[in-house]
Amino acid sequence: MTTEISHINVQYRKTIGRGEQFGPGFTYPIFVARGKEGVMYVLCRSSEYRPEGTRVTVCTTDEEFISTFARGVAQQGPHEYNFDDGSLVWPTCIALDSQENLFISDEWLNRISSFSKDGEYLGKWEERPGAGDGELDRPSGMAFDSDENLYIVDSGNHRVQKFTKDGKFLAKFGSYGSGDGEFNMPWGITIDSHGDIFIADWRNDRIQKFSPDGKFLMKFGSSGSGDGEFDRPTGVAVDRDGVIYVADWLNNRLQVFDQDGNFVDAKTGEAGISKWGQDKLDANAEMWDERERAQGLEREKDFWGPTGVTVDDEGNIFVPESARNRIQVYTTQSPTFAGPRL
Amino acid sequence: MSDQDISLMAHLMRRAGFGAPLEELQARAAKGYDATVEELLDPESQPPMERDLMMRYKTEWLSQAGLEGQQEEWTFRMINTKRPLQEKIALFWHGVLVTGHAKCEYPKQQMLELDMFRTVGLGSFHDLLQGLSKDPAMVFYLDNCMSHKGAINENWGRELLELFSLGVGMDGEFNYSEDDVKEAARAFTGWTVTNSIPRYPYGKYEAKFMFDPRDHDGDEKTFLGETGNFNGEDIVDIIVKQPATARFVARHLYNFFVADEPQVPAWKDTPPRDIEAIKQLEDEYFRSNYDITSMLRLLFKSDFFKNSTFAKIKSPAETVVGTLRLVGDFTFPKPGLDSLTLNIRYMGQDLLNPPTVEGWHTGREWIDSGTLVERINFTADQVGNINHPGVKSMISRIGGAGSVLTADQLVDGCLENLGAYQLADETRSQLLELAASEGDIRSDAEGFPRQVATMLQSIVATTEYLFA
Repeated sequence: MTTEISHINVQYRKTIGRGEQFGPGFTYPIFVARGKEGVMYVLCRSSEYRPEGTRVTVCTTDEEFISTFARGVAQQGPHEYNFDDGSLVWPTCIALDSQENLFISDEWLNRISSFSKDGEYLGKWEERPGAGDGELDRPSGMAFDSDENLYIVDSGNHRVQKFTKDGKFLAKFGSYGSGDGEFNMPWGITIDSHGDIFIADWRNDRIQKFSPDGKFLMKFGSSGSGDGEFDRPTGVAVDRDGVIYVADWLNNRLQVFDQDGNFVDAKTGEAGISKWGQDKLDANAEMWDERERAQGLEREKDFWGPTGVTVDDEGNIFVPESARNRIQVYTTQSPTFAGPRL
Repeated sequence: MSDQDISLMAHLMRRAGFGAPLEELQARAAKGYDATVEELLDPESQPPMERDLMMRYKTEWLSQAGLEGQQEEWTFRMINTKRPLQEKIALFWHGVLVTGHAKCEYPKQQMLELDMFRTVGLGSFHDLLQGLSKDPAMVFYLDNCMSHKGAINENWGRELLELFSLGVGMDGEFNYSEDDVKEAARAFTGWTVTNSIPRYPYGKYEAKFMFDPRDHDGDEKTFLGETGNFNGEDIVDIIVKQPATARFVARHLYNFFVADEPQVPAWKDTPPRDIEAIKQLEDEYFRSNYDITSMLRLLFKSDFFKNSTFAKIKSPAETVVGTLRLVGDFTFPKPGLDSLTLNIRYMGQDLLNPPTVEGWHTGREWIDSGTLVERINFTADQVGNINHPGVKSMISRIGGAGSVLTADQLVDGCLENLGAYQLADETRSQLLELAASEGDIRSDAEGFPRQVATMLQSIVATTEYLFA
């Protein structure tokens, strides 16, 4: 067999996190946002019956715990949704503005809430459930463009909407369907360095690319488990070199594509023991013994429920696994050249 | 289509599923009773649950929800399944072939067991017992992983015979001896599970069944009169061909799908309430090579089934799920189902966490002063909510009878929409009195929806509505 040569080399780097309802750790992490100076904001979805776990965990990429903020609220009854400002029910995505304020989408409340990087509640857009311009039905992925306009994946309406930072409707594109530029319950979004928009078209099992004004540019992927195929892609990210990363949710893997959408690689997970995980095991030493005796421990390496993918300017790729309470970090190795480029 | 057709279809759907709103009953009745039975018996012909949607919004269902999360997930499935008998048979076997959350290392293990009940539970009882014997949830629950060559633990061997296949006895005679229990336990030595991956730091994983030949007692055994170097598979082979097993399966099916029977501990000395029906089911068990679908086909098409309307008290799961299906709530994932699901527990059926290995006692034992109040409060709250889409539909259909309704039309309309319920004369008189007490019943009046809702609430508070 001929060795395939690629200039894109993605390698496992480390694992961050552990399962924890409070403090250092995550509860069903669903999205990661990268701040400045090594800070990361991890959105923990948790569940309605464990609302104390619904929060943002703030830590560094070296697993130094900083804080948690926001909160879930115990539901008052099956049809009573008196959720206070600043609380979360089904949080799905974080978008950071230039001041590193956090905008958080909530699929249940149809609410966009904002917090400072220190966790201070700043406010919310007035809830506007519906299908009209500027109205939302289960908002999921979000991303700011370079002008600080916010693109929101309006999943229940099968479209993308563009807003000013304070929530004024600007534009929309997409509708229900499987044709070019149409969506079926889209989820993740990212904007590359050219301002082009990538959407994880979740139930169509594909990625679509659009110009900043919503013109369809390209698509790739189809349903399946082979190379370049997807089973409900949740998240998409593009690095500074244009390499595209896709969280392939029910195939439990991270797929890598070149800028034209050609398949490059698939990673099924290589998780090891995180720093927080090590602390937890050291504090419960019998667990080390149990791990020694456990069979099938290699399963722990595998991705389970990757719900997003985020890249940073340092070549790191963060993949939160909602089912495993952790983030696997990969890195892209790029060739470096001495002297002037030819 | 006659009222009788609707009534019979409502009966079938309550027993083979979790009930159905009137429009579904009408559509099924138009298709025909036998055709509906065949569709129910062939669940693969209907679409599966949309698991991607469920797990997208209920993220915790993907991996490791605790007891409440799993109860919620199962309830959602029971409400929304397009394969009602598949979900009903899982509920049936869960109450017979019992494991419990209180002794389960990895909560999701029981959900995997339910998957087995869904896929094998309508097939051969032989295959089901083989699968159960290797089910990690069961191996751990009944300690077979602690049963070793030369040092047996009898729990699995005993319950396999007593509660999962033969029963203690029938027709006044014992079905097996203490020696049979010990010999069965010997045959299952070495059937164990892998050591699990501990909870920290990322969460648990499911266990796997494994056979350890070094720990298996391969010596000669005598079991139910047969002698050989039996292993677990051989024991199951011998069990399924016993007349007592046919009786056991038949009585359980009858108790769950047809009419309340005396409880299992009484079966040795108390004959079935309909011995002819049981004999038909026993014969079908052997004729079909232990096939549950064949037994159910006979059952659903029999006169003894068709004549058994309202001969069973609904279980808490049937009560809650049936009501939610009727009112059309939670047809899509949304918060709040967890608190509604807890009503099943409050009514006395903590799904996935039965009180003992014998499961729940059924029939009139579901009802006491506390659980009765829970039932009435829950069902009355639901059918009294005029914002529920199913309740709106009922109001609209009942109002369609005319601009002015008689008290009879209001009461009968509500009874029909709740599933062709029938009332004792005295109960009916009281409801007619109630309906007439507020003067004219005008379907175009602002208060009409509330009038209908009040009548629905009054009906679900009757003794008759406790029955299915």
